[in-house]
Amino acid sequence: MNNPVKSLRQTSERYKAMDGKDRRAFIVDTLLNNAIYIILIVFVIFTYTRNSNIISKSSIINIISLTASSLPMALGIGGCIVLTGTDLSAGRTVGLTAAISATLLQSLTTANKFFTDLGEVPLLLVLLIALLVGGLVGLVNGFFVARFQLHPFIVTLATQLIVYGICLLYYMSHDNNGQSISGLSDAYKNAITGSVISKLTGGALVIPNYVIYAVIVLIVMWFIWNKTTFGKNMFAVGSNAEAANVSGVNVFFTTLMVHTLAGITYGYTGFIEAARIGSNTANTGLNYECDAIAACVIGGVSFVGGTGTIGGVVLGVFLLRIIFVGLNFLSVSGNMQYIIKGAIILLACSIDMRKYLTRK
Amino acid sequence: MKKILALILALAMVFCLAACGGSSDDSSDSGDASSASSAASSSTEEEGSSDTDGEEAEGSDATEETGGDVDYSNLNVGIFWYSFSDTFLSTVRASLDDLLDEAGITYTDYDGNGSQTTQNESITTALTNGCNLLLVNLVESGSEDAAQSIIEEAAGYGVNVIFYNRTIEADGNEGALLNAYDNVGFLGTDAPEAGHIQGQMIGEYLVANYDSLDLNGDGVISYAMMKGQEGNAEAIYRTQYGVEDANAVLTEAGYPELEYFDASNTSLYQVDANGAWSASAATEFMQTNLSQYSEANGNMIELVICNNDDMAAGVVTALQAAGYNNGEGTTTIPVFGVDATDTAKELIANGYMTGTVSQSNTGYAYGLKFMIDQLASGATPVDAAAALAADASDYTFTLAEGIDSKVYMAYSSYTGE
Repeated sequence: MNNPVKSLRQTSERYKAMDGKDRRAFIVDTLLNNAIYIILIVFVIFTYTRNSNIISKSSIINIISLTASSLPMALGIGGCIVLTGTDLSAGRTVGLTAAISATLLQSLTTANKFFTDLGEVPLLLVLLIALLVGGLVGLVNGFFVARFQLHPFIVTLATQLIVYGICLLYYMSHDNNGQSISGLSDAYKNAITGSVISKLTGGALVIPNYVIYAVIVLIVMWFIWNKTTFGKNMFAVGSNAEAANVSGVNVFFTTLMVHTLAGITYGYTGFIEAARIGSNTANTGLNYECDAIAACVIGGVSFVGGTGTIGGVVLGVFLLRIIFVGLNFLSVSGNMQYIIKGAIILLACSIDMRKYLTRK
Repeated sequence: MKKILALILALAMVFCLAACGGSSDDSSDSGDASSASSAASSSTEEEGSSDTDGEEAEGSDATEETGGDVDYSNLNVGIFWYSFSDTFLSTVRASLDDLLDEAGITYTDYDGNGSQTTQNESITTALTNGCNLLLVNLVESGSEDAAQSIIEEAAGYGVNVIFYNRTIEADGNEGALLNAYDNVGFLGTDAPEAGHIQGQMIGEYLVANYDSLDLNGDGVISYAMMKGQEGNAEAIYRTQYGVEDANAVLTEAGYPELEYFDASNTSLYQVDANGAWSASAATEFMQTNLSQYSEANGNMIELVICNNDDMAAGVVTALQAAGYNNGEGTTTIPVFGVDATDTAKELIANGYMTGTVSQSNTGYAYGLKFMIDQLASGATPVDAAAALAADASDYTFTLAEGIDSKVYMAYSSYTGE
């Protein structure tokens, strides 16, 4: 961690020492390297001039909540992308774990109970089950990627289909016939969408609890990525698997664990989503991976492998959510959202690759 | 080592195949119903063959009433669903599967998985595999070209096609296909009807509770609209008539028309970008709306109209998180959906949601089974449609005006029992 004031002073000293041409190049580079931040700020200012509500307290809480809901999954996928891979099974795994969480935590009085004879199940046990199921999918992904050197795109495409099939069967079972699962227990809903902060601040800040959990996940993932041997190994394998292997990194184990960790974040997301949405169908989680992958690449987790930061992922998720909210506040149709998202992904990745091209 | 591994993998695969083939109960979903139902159909074959001589003299009237005496032995029905993940259609599928299993009919369910291409390929495969009756839940609702290619392909095999649930003809062009081909029939709901019923129900509810619903007392009810999908005929009609008919009722009672909550949104709805009619899209839209519009700001959304119950449930979740619709002591924003899923019925029973439009899954299954019986006993789709419309059962079926092969199943409003 550099001292920001110090580094800023160093930069300004360097800038003073440059001649005119270098200075211009320096400014262009700085602008391009921070293009995402600049877009973000410009977009927010633009939206603000049209609809000042976007800077209101409730709007900011909304943006933070939406960011928190999709952040853990993006952090999981980020690891896979650092290994030059990807994970397409994420959304469907969320769907399956959401289904499992919801069915286990329906209120006892609901008319459409999935497990009719099931009593009260402890929340933490269900969370554990969701994490295990998610982790298991990740473990399968990781095993096939590591053991058979298959591209993760193919492996996760296959597991995506398998998980979706299991999810459909699950919804058709127990005479549920594909009906949506709802009627969740109050304890579950309160634990996820209730707000402890609201109680502490006397109703001033109604920030749902899942934001707190997302912050915990964020801290844990930051620690794993930056402070553990496993995290360092992940980046080593992502940069150059061969070199990492020669230097004594267990590539097989690292790949296996990165995917398992990703799977666990999907299990966690499923547990949260089930309560956040309240009504779950086999479609829950559809296309979630697209947004998560997009968020990672926008945040500078490169498909080249070996690079990426937790902060970047957070920024990517935040940017996508700001766009979603901002376009709603501007009353722009959802169709435009696709175009803008696509343009930003292209721009972000081009800028990202530019760094590598100049390095070469 | 590698050889052993290869051998194990190969064995595992064989085992998987064997396991699939053996599971007779689930086979209707996994796509190889032929083995499962052959046993059942062989029993009906005996029954059928012994009965045929006697029954034939009495004509088709007997088969219409019971259906149990139809000879199913040569029947191989292919049922093509637009998506297995659709909540309402999954309940139809379960009901229909039960009826067909009971009758010992050989059938296979196919998942179009939201792709017309996938559905066309499954249909071609099924036809080459000896399927001789198609029930098609068209993926591209309202796409005449897609429907026409299916009809013509089936005609080439001399096979009848019954489309159901999702319309096959574009708005204003009704009858273009159904009247042009004699191997085709349709069982569905009149697309605008759900919207009309929903609008009527909303209008009446508003008139009855106007002052308590007008939270900011400005004399106008502001509403939000959740649309399930762009370009879907049902979604378009529901979005249109849900508001128009409510306005008609309001105007008649001397109240001003509804006003969309966001004055700068000219489309007057928010649509699921994935086209999945999903609860999650509705939750996120509503959550975002509520961050700007609230009772405290005096601009609260006073009514939410949704294209289906999944979206309505999603809206209720967002409202509850924001402190509305939690029963006694909290402000309840009326939320309306369509489909009458179990989830919606429970929300309505608890007072968290206000009303929905009921579309009977068992009615669909009954109607489809009825038409299968008719066609299996040699009737044309037009005859089958006429017989279904004339049938006196718990469900109301009517023939579409000017199209003899098109049957509508009636909707009804649902606001709790």
